[in-house]
Amino acid sequence: MFVRPDNWNEMSPLERRSARLDAWQNAPVQFVNPEAEAAYKVRIERLRKIYDMEPHDRPIADPFMGASEYIVRRKGVQGTDLVYNHEKLREPLLEFHREFQPDVAVGVLPYPGRSWDLLDFKLYLWGGQKLPDNLVIQAVEGEYMMPDEYADFIADPTAFWLKQYLPRAYGALAPLAMLPDFPKISESVDTIDLLLPFGMPPFQEMLHKMMEAGNELMKTLGIVGQTGAMIAAEGFPAMGLNIVKTPFDYLGDTLRGTKGILMDMYRRPNELLAACEAYVPVLIKSIVGSCDRSGAPTAFYVLHKGADAFMSQAQFEKFYWPTWKQVMMALYEEGIISYLFIEGSYNKRLENLAQMPDKSLVCHFDQTDMGPVKEILSDKFIITGNVPASLMSAGTTDEVRAYCDNLVELFEDAPAYILAHGCYFENTTDDKLRAFMDAVKK
Amino acid sequence: MSQELIDAITEMREEDVVAITNQLLDEGVAPTDILMACKQAMDVIGKRFEEGDAFIPELILAGEMMTSVTDILKPRMAEESTSDKLGKIVIGTVQGDIHDIAKDIVAFMLDLNGFDVTDLGVDVPPEKFVETVQDTGATIVGLSGFLTLAFDPMKDTVAAFKAAGLDDVKIMIGGGQIDENIRQYTGANAYGRDAMAAVDLAKSWV
Repeated sequence: MFVRPDNWNEMSPLERRSARLDAWQNAPVQFVNPEAEAAYKVRIERLRKIYDMEPHDRPIADPFMGASEYIVRRKGVQGTDLVYNHEKLREPLLEFHREFQPDVAVGVLPYPGRSWDLLDFKLYLWGGQKLPDNLVIQAVEGEYMMPDEYADFIADPTAFWLKQYLPRAYGALAPLAMLPDFPKISESVDTIDLLLPFGMPPFQEMLHKMMEAGNELMKTLGIVGQTGAMIAAEGFPAMGLNIVKTPFDYLGDTLRGTKGILMDMYRRPNELLAACEAYVPVLIKSIVGSCDRSGAPTAFYVLHKGADAFMSQAQFEKFYWPTWKQVMMALYEEGIISYLFIEGSYNKRLENLAQMPDKSLVCHFDQTDMGPVKEILSDKFIITGNVPASLMSAGTTDEVRAYCDNLVELFEDAPAYILAHGCYFENTTDDKLRAFMDAVKK
Repeated sequence: MSQELIDAITEMREEDVVAITNQLLDEGVAPTDILMACKQAMDVIGKRFEEGDAFIPELILAGEMMTSVTDILKPRMAEESTSDKLGKIVIGTVQGDIHDIAKDIVAFMLDLNGFDVTDLGVDVPPEKFVETVQDTGATIVGLSGFLTLAFDPMKDTVAAFKAAGLDDVKIMIGGGQIDENIRQYTGANAYGRDAMAAVDLAKSWV
């Protein structure tokens, strides 16, 4: 939980940033021994200097963004275990940290399989449900908002989310459509409208299911949280991330689907733009709230449809960038760092990113050419990523070593570089992972 | 008038495309000539895509426009002869991967460029690819995979063709994380970065 200092309103964006990073850096940890505490402090201080883009002894290697699944799979954990059996992840994760001594903590996302089962979650398939046990999750593309529903969304995104989207995304939440329109509940008699659904059997059944799913979620979070605390206790700090998306990607990934939103750029451009605009204040409030609650200093954007291949530069600058920039600028004002996980390539978008204030971004690249990245962005922002998943999966250890060495050398004189993979992968070898992690220690 | 249709398609004026198609038919223009105009328009879009002037939205919208035109023309046309096709291709997203958008675009572009395409959909097991090639006599296979978990199923599928003695079948792979490393790993004949690369590969193999 981040508590704003009394003088918050007088603080500059960078002072607010420092306040959030101070809170993250000084969060209490119960260490297993003094050696672990000392190692933690060295690691988190190095990471802090990287976040602050200040001189530090060496870059760090972050295996979380690519290797987190491999780290547990190498000990026999199956995809289905990441969804249902979170206690099975603990020992493999602890073993990895003891053996590899990473610069930052590596965790696994807590996919709540039992809660998904109870709520009949439609957006994904997962291992142990409809996918085989060796797989984790895959998104199911679909239209969860119909083209003629833009007006509803624009008028009130939150109401749309609650009464139209959630009943489609979770089969068990269909009764949410029975909820009243809240803005009209003001007078004594309106209590009837407010409570009516809660007195009806389908709605009550839904509430019971939600409580059951909530209980399952708490069990999952308890196990995962305890594992995270054990990793920290042994000396490994977490980077502190909250997962978010851009307005366009929320609409495209989750509501309209890829094909739907790309066609909307031609078929209903004004509604699409208005929907992105309507999203901005809702999203800012939501991200700031979650960063405050978790104490994480960064908003972690999983970026999809703004990539080079998905749209032209003109389309990017018309549909994707303006509202995203508004959100990132608002977060900057709030002292929150935007961590951009840029899937695919952003070779044409670097000048757009360069418009953001210094230190406002961590730019994590997948397949973008890193030469121009160095030239255009590395003095302004923290740079990371670009070790190919294909290389980790199918390359040799020498090839991995050479690729990582080149990246470290390229960013040798940059203020802040984190060696990391371009995207997730399932399979590699311990030798390749070690070559990746050792590249920053030479 | 055909030029008007070509312009409407290349300028992404979806509603005009339908109106102009109907108008051309009313004026007695042969459906085959209308299709020829569509083909010319798609060549322009394909070239723009190759040169980085058109992107996925334009390819998808072009596909939608072609479907609209074909739906209008179909009742007036005799069954298309498969003997005019450049070759037969079997395509699908490999086992364990349920992504279809990129695969659909590749299948559409191959079809448009004169190939007889059998699309097996998503999550296709290796034996299904092999059976379909045996049934259709296809000489080319396209394996799609969006996720890194597709690497091994791609490798298994290539191996299944070898095991079935279908060494002459040419196999191309494609997807977000596919590159030369993965081509070598899977044993495929080639990889392509996008739909036009797939068309170029297929043309070079027939």
